[in-house]
Amino acid sequence: MTMNHPYDDFPHLLFSNNTATATSTSSCVEQHDGISLDMDWDCDFHNLIESMMSDKGATTESPPLLPCYHGQEGIFNSSSTGSSMADELDHDVEAGESKGLRLVHLLVAAADASIGADKTRELTRVLLAKLKDMTSPNDRTNMERLAAHFTNGLSKLHKEANVQRQYGPHQHPDHVYDQVDVMLAFQMLQNMSPYINFGYLTATQAILEAVKYERRIHIVDYDITDGVQWPSLMQALVSRNTGPSAQHLRITALSRATNGKKSVAAVQEAGRRLTAFAESIGQPFSYHHCRMDSDTFNPSSLKLVRGEAVVINCMLHLPRFGHQPPNSIISFLSEAKTLNPKLVTLVHEEVGLMGNQGFLYRFMDLLHQFSAIFDSLEAGPARGFVERVIFGPWVSGWLTRIAITDDGAEVESVASWPLWLATNGFKPVEVSFANRCQAKLLLSLFNDGYGVEELGKNGLVLGWKSRRLVSASFWASCESSE
Amino acid sequence: MFHAKKPSSMNGSYENRAMCVQGDSGLVLTTDPKPRLRWTVELHDRFVDAVAQLGGPDKATPKTIMRVMGVKGLTLYHLKSHLQKFRLGKQPHKEYGDHSTKEGSRASVMDIQRNVASSSGMISRNMNEMQMEVQRRLHEQLEVQRHLQLRIEAQGKYMQSILERACQTLAGENMAAAAAGGGGGYMGNLGSSSLSAAVGPSPHPLSFPPFQDLNIYGNTTEQVLDHHNFHHQNIENHYTGNNAADTNIYLGKKRPNPSSGNDVRKALLMWSDQDQDLSGHQPFDDEHRIQIQMATHVSTDLDSLSENNCGELLERLSPRKSPLSPMLIQGMNSPFG
Repeated sequence: MTMNHPYDDFPHLLFSNNTATATSTSSCVEQHDGISLDMDWDCDFHNLIESMMSDKGATTESPPLLPCYHGQEGIFNSSSTGSSMADELDHDVEAGESKGLRLVHLLVAAADASIGADKTRELTRVLLAKLKDMTSPNDRTNMERLAAHFTNGLSKLHKEANVQRQYGPHQHPDHVYDQVDVMLAFQMLQNMSPYINFGYLTATQAILEAVKYERRIHIVDYDITDGVQWPSLMQALVSRNTGPSAQHLRITALSRATNGKKSVAAVQEAGRRLTAFAESIGQPFSYHHCRMDSDTFNPSSLKLVRGEAVVINCMLHLPRFGHQPPNSIISFLSEAKTLNPKLVTLVHEEVGLMGNQGFLYRFMDLLHQFSAIFDSLEAGPARGFVERVIFGPWVSGWLTRIAITDDGAEVESVASWPLWLATNGFKPVEVSFANRCQAKLLLSLFNDGYGVEELGKNGLVLGWKSRRLVSASFWASCESSE
Repeated sequence: MFHAKKPSSMNGSYENRAMCVQGDSGLVLTTDPKPRLRWTVELHDRFVDAVAQLGGPDKATPKTIMRVMGVKGLTLYHLKSHLQKFRLGKQPHKEYGDHSTKEGSRASVMDIQRNVASSSGMISRNMNEMQMEVQRRLHEQLEVQRHLQLRIEAQGKYMQSILERACQTLAGENMAAAAAGGGGGYMGNLGSSSLSAAVGPSPHPLSFPPFQDLNIYGNTTEQVLDHHNFHHQNIENHYTGNNAADTNIYLGKKRPNPSSGNDVRKALLMWSDQDQDLSGHQPFDDEHRIQIQMATHVSTDLDSLSENNCGELLERLSPRKSPLSPMLIQGMNSPFG
């Protein structure tokens, strides 16, 4: 397979002795974690890199990575000498694009360095500092802002590694956003992209079809978040039968101990809201909360009623700021199978689960995923807010997650969830014409560029341009009756 | 009952080559070196009836057809090939409702059917089935559209209510904290009234383009509609006045696209012309929040802000699927030592 070394394509990124940049770069140095970066980037940095590279046993074919600033005067150096507006703009255009590429290179290099041996720790620090200089969450291009979030995420990992992870893999975001902010941002995200609603609405449609003739419905929800998925289901149930033929809905929401007390409170609050909503539209409804104390799910802790149809709902695609260990999901699905569910809905992001792939590969994949999502978001004044509140922590969460490879406990050995389900006693449930129709309709409300593909017979995938973003698939336990 | 057909009344292309005679069984055979059976209208009708009796072209077999038809001289060979043609003739039209078809394949559906069914009766029967199938699909699509609208509304109502409650709780906490002399949250100066003013009567958070303006039907149905001279008006009128009165899902025009990724210069020019709402870190005060709440309903020309397509940058950087060079992969195993 012909595989380009990323740096082969961009020789201009090599070390260049451009003294004109000395003034601009020296203004960007800062004290950082006790290591003085007060150095001439052109010379010292190069030497630093070289020494580190040789320690690492690098081959000479790989050129040392260096940020090259010759195109950057237009943006950073306001003292660019006497160039006309047009020239500056030209610079900007090239600079914008080449800056984007440079950022990607730096990110990849930083990611690579971050998992290397001790000696590259300094390199990581240096690269991250550079990235911080070059990016900000308020920059004008998608790539710059995205790079800022990735830089933050990597920095956090780097810091945590230094602290020897005494707090475990959990998140300690440096900026905890207020609950209201998060909710507001979440709501705005739904207006800007079909990403979230695709999962919710597709799953809900499948559920409605599966339980059409059931008197009692029991949904076991792995991750209810704010309960946003369920009002539309309730509305549909109410509109299709009321009075004596009303279907009774029961939802049991799980909370996982690993997410702490906050998650318990959140689950209970969601229950209160859903109950209020159900009452307001006249849908018979009851809510239960099931605590998972360890990462193992015990079906006997559920309250079951005879004659009810059980549905397992597993939304894994939502922006998660905490760590969601795959073992807990595996345990949940395996145990839930014993309940003979009529339907299992699974929605997940198309990233992250890569079996035995290494960190760097998954890092690139993550970068691709978030780039696609960034590109796909509708623009608007609210966008910066959503990016800060949702995407920053989301990216950090993912970076932490993929950084944890097989220490033993947290192996992400699942190559893909659909594959796991297919090989662990679940059979596929076909996607209906109405569901496909609904998905296309939903997409038509947003940017061009989204597409829906079929995922075998029992799933749909939402994609942006050529990148798959999120998939929804439907299953039933092999023993359940049709 | 079959009777001989005069050569002159047959398909013109055969006139010069073939002379047809009627055999004892009543079948019409050509007299060229290789005797071929001519599928006359009557024979074909009998064939179709037999197939229908047997449960359709997929269920019927040449053997059973032969038995049912009871025509002497008709061999399995004849029936095999005719049945195959018949099945092919039926297939394309069955799939009509499922996939989007282009002009070309639709034309060929007609051709095949004309070949198989030489009678106009046959053609109109198939057209009816097609029409019914298409109408069924269309009806289903309209149902989906209606349901989706209601569901999105319900979701929006729910989200609005939880947001209101959360804001009020927070405002309440802050007021209590302020009363107790504490610092309170960042929303310290916000009274609950002003925020609920923002959240309450504002247009519905989930505002979507109106369904009638959208091309929800996709290619298939549009072509079919054109073909059958349906009127779009009929269908659109179905939806006027279908909105819920209280929530304001006005469903405006389809959202404008962001400017295409790579035209950074154009985007930069536009950027410099406009107010940059995104500049700087704003302390997230109530005014900003209200702005944002209102602003989500308005598609402005600030949409051009999202330039520089990340995805394409990455594509250029490296082929996505390939892992990075050996040098980089080195040392990938031990994380954070």
